[in-house]
Amino acid sequence: MVGTPVLFIAIPLLAAFLIPLLGFVWKESVRILPGLVLLYLLYLAVNLMGQVAHSGTIVEVIAGWAPPWGINLVFSPLTGLLTTLMILMGFIIWIYSYRFKNIDFREAVKYFILLLMMITGSVGIVLTGDIFNQFVFIEITSISAYALTAFYKGRDSAEASFKYLIIGSLSSMFLLLAIVLIYSQLGTLNMADIADKAHLMKPGFKILALIFFITGLGIEAEIFPLNGWTPDAYAQAPGPVGAAFSGIVVKAGVYAMIRVIFTLFDVSGTHQFLIIIGMITLIIAEMAAVKQDRLKRMLAYSSIGQMGLVIVAFGIGTEEGVFAALFLMLNHAIIKSLLFLSGSYLVYNSTEKYIHETDGLAKHLPITSFLFALGAIAIVGMPPFAGFWSKWSILSAAAHSNMILVIVLILSVSIIELVYYFRVVNRIYFFPKQKEVEPKRPTINALIAMSILGILILVIGFYPDSVTGYLHSASQSLLEKGKYIQDVLSTGQLFIQ
Amino acid sequence: MEFKLFDLSIVEYAFFITAVLIILIGLYGALVKKTLIKIVIGLSVLDAGINLLLISVGYVKSGTAPIFSPALIKDMPLTLENIKKLSEGMVDPVPQALVLTAIVIGFGVTAVALSLVIRLYRHHHTLNIDEIKNLKW
Repeated sequence: MVGTPVLFIAIPLLAAFLIPLLGFVWKESVRILPGLVLLYLLYLAVNLMGQVAHSGTIVEVIAGWAPPWGINLVFSPLTGLLTTLMILMGFIIWIYSYRFKNIDFREAVKYFILLLMMITGSVGIVLTGDIFNQFVFIEITSISAYALTAFYKGRDSAEASFKYLIIGSLSSMFLLLAIVLIYSQLGTLNMADIADKAHLMKPGFKILALIFFITGLGIEAEIFPLNGWTPDAYAQAPGPVGAAFSGIVVKAGVYAMIRVIFTLFDVSGTHQFLIIIGMITLIIAEMAAVKQDRLKRMLAYSSIGQMGLVIVAFGIGTEEGVFAALFLMLNHAIIKSLLFLSGSYLVYNSTEKYIHETDGLAKHLPITSFLFALGAIAIVGMPPFAGFWSKWSILSAAAHSNMILVIVLILSVSIIELVYYFRVVNRIYFFPKQKEVEPKRPTINALIAMSILGILILVIGFYPDSVTGYLHSASQSLLEKGKYIQDVLSTGQLFIQ
Repeated sequence: MEFKLFDLSIVEYAFFITAVLIILIGLYGALVKKTLIKIVIGLSVLDAGINLLLISVGYVKSGTAPIFSPALIKDMPLTLENIKKLSEGMVDPVPQALVLTAIVIGFGVTAVALSLVIRLYRHHHTLNIDEIKNLKW
């Protein structure tokens, strides 16, 4: 036993608050400590994943209050996979931003505290088995996300952040309302217990609670009417933060929503609703992405579109569909982070971040441009890169459920995606460089971080079997609702005896 | 029990209706008002309404604090039935714990929002939301 799931929350929280104190003693520790913490957690996550594959879901009871009364953490194949992915992305983003704000010590302290808090919150959302606790973690994540969005004082970041904050806090109120509704009906906050008793709720209350939940969680998951904040926040936040949003925060939001829909309630028609809302999100986001003339906004819209596709795949609802959705989540985390990290070097010295400012940079920034092109090819789903396999599995899942319209729409949207990504790659490689643009050479640690992501894309692309085993067990664990309930509640019975 | 002015259900409804009214007022403030400060105030009002709703879920008329004090227990043996009987007159402590947490979170969000308002005011020299549109709203 190397450790327990609670360390995923306790250690980074402790480290985040130790950072400013340690900074007084040794300035470099501010940069080193988050990396050490994330590396240890990565080791722990991989170890626990092995343990879960071997002996089943780990349910940890906090402070001796057994479920359904106290808070418990659930490290199942699904939550474990997402935790490992988030910690890995956090670690890579740490490598990338190791020299971030190199001169300005105080700014660096703020950045690393907030980044660690955001990762802690997202991991907490995934691991917790208690809806109110999940609400608290969502608030931790979003408050650090607001602050990180407003990080640069010069830009319009405060505006983007305020917009995010208004939408974010309104939707968290809806989340709280949903929790109130459930508590008033069932008198419990434990997810497994709610899932067990959900049939006792009055149908009207159940649907109302579900609507409030989807409204509340849809904002972090970037679902269509609730994603007005996304392009601004991604464009105004520092480059690595954009990568953290798309690689970590959004994944946690999607997980929370899926957990509510798949485990807490099964209201008939929710899956069709997911398909419709996901399709609308996908189509509108990709149409908007084509029109963008700024690189980061384009990437942000593409990120929304991919999340729509994930929601569609979850909506298919079969084991294959869930597998495809998880696969796409994994690929999207890796590829979109690579695009954000390399893209932010392509427009480093520009204030407006226009796409035409990347013209002809391939000669000046060969490795960054190559990695951006690799990411672009991978995300549109060209074989044999990572994105191909996830798109393929979504299409085959849809085909097996006879959803022809979904296939047609996904394929036609893919063409739009192809157009706007290749437009950028074409500009980078074949256009003459603009005179006033001064390319910024990436630092060595940024290159290392981007190369790791590039290698991951190639590994998953050529050996998809290296991850599919984990994804299959994760998708089974999401669909086996009874086993989840039993795993959690049986820990409670053990405590009573 | 001589102060039986209201039926229990009316008191309960009063709480719920007030809470919903406060929530609606908060929503109105946050969504319709054009001044940044008023939007933040609207959010706080909304927060208060939801807290009231949460509290009233656990409300028991003329209930006592959920503490098993020695005076309450007296010499009763603490069997499951006795605990059940004693706890009937107690309010539910869980919503109160939740509200405490929600208040702290609401405080944090308001603080962040106000600091952003200060930043926006320094940048644009106005609090009117219609004049701050460098990004598309």
